[in-house]
Amino acid sequence: MSLKLFRRSLWVYHLNSGSCNGCDIEVLNIFTPYHDVERLGIKLVASPRHADVIVFTGPITRETLPKAIRAFFAVPEPKAVVAVGSCACGGGIWYDSYAVIGGIEAFYRILENYYKIRLPLTVYVPGCPPKPEAIIYGIAVLRGVLKQKQRKTYFLEKEVPALTRDFIVNLEKYMKQEGGINIGKK
Amino acid sequence: MLTSITEILNLLKKYGKVEKIHKDTYVVEISPGKVRELCEILHWKLNGHFSVTVGSDERPVNGYFGVYHVFLLDKQKLSVIVHVKVNPVTLKIPSITPIIPGANWHEREAHDFFGIFFEEHPNLERLILPYDWPEGIHPLRKDVNVRELRYKLLKKETGLVVEKKAEEEYIVPIGPYHPALHEPEYFELYVEGEKIVDARYKGFHVHRGIEKVAEERLTINQVPFIAERICGICGYTHNVAYCQAVENAARIDVPLRAKYIRSILLEIERVHSHLLWFGVLFHLLGFDTGFMMTWLVREKIMDLAEILTGNRKNYGMNLVGGVRRDINEEKIKLSLETLDYVEYKLRKILDKMLKLKEITSRTKEIGLLSREEARKLSVVGPVARASGISTDVRRYHPYAAYSELEFKVPVYDAGDVYSRALVRYDEIFESISMLKQLLKNIPKGDLTAENVKVPEYRKGLGLTEAPRGENVHLVITGRENKVYRWRPRAPSYNNVPSTLVMLKGEKLADAPAIIASIDPCFSCTDHVVVIDVRTNVKQVLRLKEIARGK
Repeated sequence: MSLKLFRRSLWVYHLNSGSCNGCDIEVLNIFTPYHDVERLGIKLVASPRHADVIVFTGPITRETLPKAIRAFFAVPEPKAVVAVGSCACGGGIWYDSYAVIGGIEAFYRILENYYKIRLPLTVYVPGCPPKPEAIIYGIAVLRGVLKQKQRKTYFLEKEVPALTRDFIVNLEKYMKQEGGINIGKK
Repeated sequence: MLTSITEILNLLKKYGKVEKIHKDTYVVEISPGKVRELCEILHWKLNGHFSVTVGSDERPVNGYFGVYHVFLLDKQKLSVIVHVKVNPVTLKIPSITPIIPGANWHEREAHDFFGIFFEEHPNLERLILPYDWPEGIHPLRKDVNVRELRYKLLKKETGLVVEKKAEEEYIVPIGPYHPALHEPEYFELYVEGEKIVDARYKGFHVHRGIEKVAEERLTINQVPFIAERICGICGYTHNVAYCQAVENAARIDVPLRAKYIRSILLEIERVHSHLLWFGVLFHLLGFDTGFMMTWLVREKIMDLAEILTGNRKNYGMNLVGGVRRDINEEKIKLSLETLDYVEYKLRKILDKMLKLKEITSRTKEIGLLSREEARKLSVVGPVARASGISTDVRRYHPYAAYSELEFKVPVYDAGDVYSRALVRYDEIFESISMLKQLLKNIPKGDLTAENVKVPEYRKGLGLTEAPRGENVHLVITGRENKVYRWRPRAPSYNNVPSTLVMLKGEKLADAPAIIASIDPCFSCTDHVVVIDVRTNVKQVLRLKEIARGK
């Protein structure tokens, strides 16, 4: 599946949703002179509203969940997601911690069930942390320059507790309180 | 004034039962009534410093909750752990925050995780747990099962914890996502015109429940790997600190070669971390050339780490009792060559950059932290050394191979952003010189100790000097090859509260540089809490837009 959504430069918004910094510095690393992806038109932007691609690093913690949802909806369509690192890909070692919601899959489940959106194209870059080369490879796959080599496989049972309506209602209340917007309802 | 170790031990014996747990480390078990008196003596009169408060649920072992206040006495090269048993019914002990303000977060964390009440604490509010966490559930208690908790929490209808809003002033929110920070944390700055009058911090977005995961699910030799994931920048020092804590508890002698390899990697990590910091500082001051140049040199150090360990970050080199991989002659030769190159390049780059007027005018006499404030908040590492406090775990509580090295501890008195930069500048070159000594003198021998056995319910304290300051791990070993209680305390945990002092009275445009000057590492710190503010300013408005100031 190559992506023809973006024909020109990719602008990237980096969202640390509970990462240990390992992936963050590697993401930052690809913008420095040694790898320098800016010469390929890939640019790190400060605001999600300017971005085409949202780069998740780290598992999604309970504390960052409402903020991550807001940032996710702030990125205009069409958008793509790059999940960098083992934690972002599937929750990593934190899969059963009380303070963590899970990886990008768990995040998508919330978006799917409660906001009824079509999920964006997602590239997974596993590793702890992935090398800068691997991240560049992931972005090349996203652009359709390179072909995807591996397919996703599940090793875990899919049974995860369903979030209740109350949970989300509370979440929305909290977001409004913080001066947020009504997400998903226009 | 008391100086010798025997005098101090005699003093401690007056307060309670003294037990030596390992070299230079003593536990004093005292009754709750005497805590304040002893802590005041240890911190203020003996010139030690408060390091960490650890809560612990020991009901399955002895029927009590435990609170451990750890103090490091640099002059006497001594660590003293004050142990207080907390009655599991009343759950009350006196707070030490009125005496040592630096203990504020530590006690609030123990309150969050164990429900221990600290009497006369000025602000015993929630620090680490998320906004929707139900009252009365304390996750680190032993009768709380992680997985059950997770299911319960996701299904439970929970009340919202409404945050306090300050009333009448301009608020400039910085974060949780902000181009200057790279990590989610939330600063609220209260400004009057350009001047910051007050600041508030809400952190702990990255709290992942690492302690519970380690205590419930992992075995003793698996914990080093999760310890490394505490932080992606300075992970290896957490790894070493944990291993040292267990080794101390079990009285394992680590072979000298393993100690040397640990020191080598620790110093490599320090160089890369400080270079990263210089890059970020230059970037925040709008000097991107500096950022790019330092990170270009840093790439060499990352390559060096990859050659020595197999990974650029998260080396995975340690086990309890030693290291997992060896370093051969070829690698040593290559490392020495790289270090020569890096030293040459850095002298050239940093010497010039630190003299630039654009840099000095934005860093000198900005973000001041006086020696008294630093002592009060018990800050550590380069922040303390820039405020005139000579503290360095490598010098005063030597671990790994540091007792055999020659090195200087840079100390500056100005207490501003510039002196913090100078401390790190000196440290980079000290580290490079140390690395050369280590690589040239590395002895032959084994990599791991034989017959590693870890007895039950022993306490061990592991200290390392991370790039950001002293790093303390307290471990209580458990049954069946598990950890009973593990409390890592990252240096930023003590340093972050000091930013609120530094920010007051400064210009808004300097805020990012000041926040960055402590080299905050929020993923290390994130266990939990919020800081309260007292404001008396007028004029209202909330700027919904995030300040995009670089």
